[in-house]
Amino acid sequence: MIKIERRHETPRWLVYAIPFISIAVSLLFVGLLLLAVGVNPVDAYMTMFSRSFGSKFGLTELFVKTAPIVLTGLAVAIPLRAGLWNIGAEGQLYMGAFAASFIALYVSLPPPLVLPAMALAAAFMGLLWASLPGILKAKFDLNEIISTLLLNYVAIYWVDYLVYGPMRGKEVFNFPYSDIFPDFAILPRFFGTRLHAGVFIAIIIAILLYLVIKKTSFGFAVKVVGANPKAAEYAGINRKRIIIYTMLIGGAVAGFAGMMEVSGIHMRLRSGLSPGYGYAGIPVALLAKGNPLAVILSAFLFGFLYVGGSALQTTYSIPVSIVYVFQALIVLFIIGGEFFTKYTIRIRRG
Amino acid sequence: MSREVLLEMRGIVKRFPGVVANDGVNLTVYRGEIHGLLGENGAGKTTLMNILYGLYQPDEGEIIFEGKRVRFRSPRDAIEAGIGMVHQHFMLVRRMNVLQNIVLGYRTPKDPLIDEGWVKEKIEELSKMYGIGVDVDELVADLSVGEEQRVEILKALFRNVKLLILDEPTAVLTPQEVKNLFSALRAMTQKGLTVIFITHKLKEALSVTDRITVLRRGKNVGTIETAKTNERELARMMVGREVVMDIRKPKIEFGEEVLRVEDLWVEDDRGLMALKGVTFSIRRGEILGIAGVSGNGQKELEEVLTGLRKPKKGRIILNGKDITNLSVEGYTASGVACIPEDRIGVGLAPSLSVADNLMLRDFRNFRKGITLDFKAMEERAAKLVEEFAIKTPSLHVPASTLSGGNIQRIILARELSRNPKLLIASQPSRGLDIAGIEYVRQRLINAAKNGSAILLISEDLEEILQLSDTIAVIYEGEIKGIIPREKADIEEIGYLMAGGAAA
Repeated sequence: MIKIERRHETPRWLVYAIPFISIAVSLLFVGLLLLAVGVNPVDAYMTMFSRSFGSKFGLTELFVKTAPIVLTGLAVAIPLRAGLWNIGAEGQLYMGAFAASFIALYVSLPPPLVLPAMALAAAFMGLLWASLPGILKAKFDLNEIISTLLLNYVAIYWVDYLVYGPMRGKEVFNFPYSDIFPDFAILPRFFGTRLHAGVFIAIIIAILLYLVIKKTSFGFAVKVVGANPKAAEYAGINRKRIIIYTMLIGGAVAGFAGMMEVSGIHMRLRSGLSPGYGYAGIPVALLAKGNPLAVILSAFLFGFLYVGGSALQTTYSIPVSIVYVFQALIVLFIIGGEFFTKYTIRIRRG
Repeated sequence: MSREVLLEMRGIVKRFPGVVANDGVNLTVYRGEIHGLLGENGAGKTTLMNILYGLYQPDEGEIIFEGKRVRFRSPRDAIEAGIGMVHQHFMLVRRMNVLQNIVLGYRTPKDPLIDEGWVKEKIEELSKMYGIGVDVDELVADLSVGEEQRVEILKALFRNVKLLILDEPTAVLTPQEVKNLFSALRAMTQKGLTVIFITHKLKEALSVTDRITVLRRGKNVGTIETAKTNERELARMMVGREVVMDIRKPKIEFGEEVLRVEDLWVEDDRGLMALKGVTFSIRRGEILGIAGVSGNGQKELEEVLTGLRKPKKGRIILNGKDITNLSVEGYTASGVACIPEDRIGVGLAPSLSVADNLMLRDFRNFRKGITLDFKAMEERAAKLVEEFAIKTPSLHVPASTLSGGNIQRIILARELSRNPKLLIASQPSRGLDIAGIEYVRQRLINAAKNGSAILLISEDLEEILQLSDTIAVIYEGEIKGIIPREKADIEEIGYLMAGGAAA
């Protein structure tokens, strides 16, 4: 007889093993999927690997794809530590991209000040966008999952409206693009590749947030709110303030990711500027268990999926959607894995 | 009256981690009687009934129902055997109407279709027979609490139960509804149904039951015929007189007034007045014991005095300063500490480490520039673990892995080490073993000796008598008399706790 029993204690190794097991099992399932469309999964994985790590171009692409996911991962991870689900990193990213583009195209500043101003404007716009669900959650207990998710559509369509309308460039014919940014509004690039300064800034932000979370009294308070909001209130921690602050941090970081994309990659505001980086931030933060340093690692995995996914598309003409299937599977298996931290399955004879 | 035994529970033992909820309980119920199950909160009444209803499996003991030895693995088994239970918290689907709720999970003759006409007819018949009126088309969300209870009862009757268990059914009812409920119960027993009525209210037990079984701390005290007993005897049985430990707070000179509470009116979560004009004061070194059955405003009192809940009216004065409108942090900074009633849910964050939990309040004092001095925090935590003899494998294991007694020690260590001016201790020894109880009580006495003013909120009269210098009884949000310890009489207090009028 198979019996499901509640665990009294969760073995520590299991907590850390679950992300890896989830990845492994997802690889297996995606392998089956590849097999079903007639591709040898081992070959496919080899291709993904060699195209990401095998060349200077591949490697820098890997970093360029990882950087925005590090930021959106952080944008989900910080509120997650306080027990909040920020599903809105995608929208916050778009709003940040909008604000940065606005500065780049319409505000005349001394050239050395343009990039810092774009970064600040983007972070502030993202923060503003996240403040709505944060304040609604704190004041009226409005479910932040729904409000952040819905605001994504508003932000994405707002940017669409702009690039089809008022911000459409003069030299882009009928494409939904703005004009290209002036040179001083573009992030410096290295080695003749797309590797831009934003990659390093993303890693510095992750390290800074790690220090804030682990070393400051704010970080301690966030941890308590996430672990037991009632105990936090009883201990005199202002739960509502913590809710709002973590959302603001998340929004600011995602907003900056938007600036990085328009200024470092596209060099203009355009429709569909993010291939779902904001949503990728969710499994990234989950895999990292909300730890900002671990977010760098799990973002790297997702960056690899994006780069490897395009490799699959060009080599085997498998749709790049396989990447999203992979992402979704990892989330499912992580959530499923949580079950085993609370329960154990026992097989008994007779 | 026929004395046919319907139900017998023999030697029931149920252990939960750290607590024995039922310790060899016996219960015999005759067919056609209303049997009262009386005891304080935590005496094991609900646990015993949950075992009977199949929600828990007993560790030891046997259940004989209608002469057959039975073992209910789930409520489904119990319902099939003819046992129904109405819980304190109703289990209805709010977005369905009354009829749908009643028929939910029941197979009508036209199964798999629901024969609404047949159901309606049957409900109406039952309503008439027992005088329990409901509108079957009404949405449950639109019903009053009393009506919801009637739906729950009808739901059980609909399934042709022979034995109906009611867990504290009157807690949510108005006096008129209580009267109606009682007459319905009598109508049921006249038709041969049997009722087990869980309560801690003496008057109700006396007015509606035929026989009463009293439980105390998970054990039988005795079963008695209602006609042959009275409130005072029941109060004595319920509360008990024997003192387990020989602890007594020594008399000391009280200092100046620390806390003064003036005409405090506080609402509960539902917006009903939970405290109605409470006034008292505590001096340095004094322990004021608030005796009372839980649910009479104690939770709100604990919360309002720690800043978690704001009063509608009245003032809280600490050392001459009005602190009524301060934040929780302000209360903490003013020197208020609290051992909350809900230790796991409020008192700590179970998933965080022992060290984190010890620092839950005081981490702000360890700021070093913009960071926290984790080394100093850990040293402090280690010192507290030693000083309060907290048994833990390390400072870094989650607090949830510790036993109930050691969890309470974490809270004690955190709150007492701050040398509070005012300490609120709510049910501080509930659920602990003897050694744990003794430790907690001794610590509270020492804290008072060191100059704290202590408000002790407890349902355990023995604890109140051992520790308090002054005793106040709370009933339905009002203080029913403040009595100095020397003049206190356990029976008198038990009588006041159960809603008796002051002599």
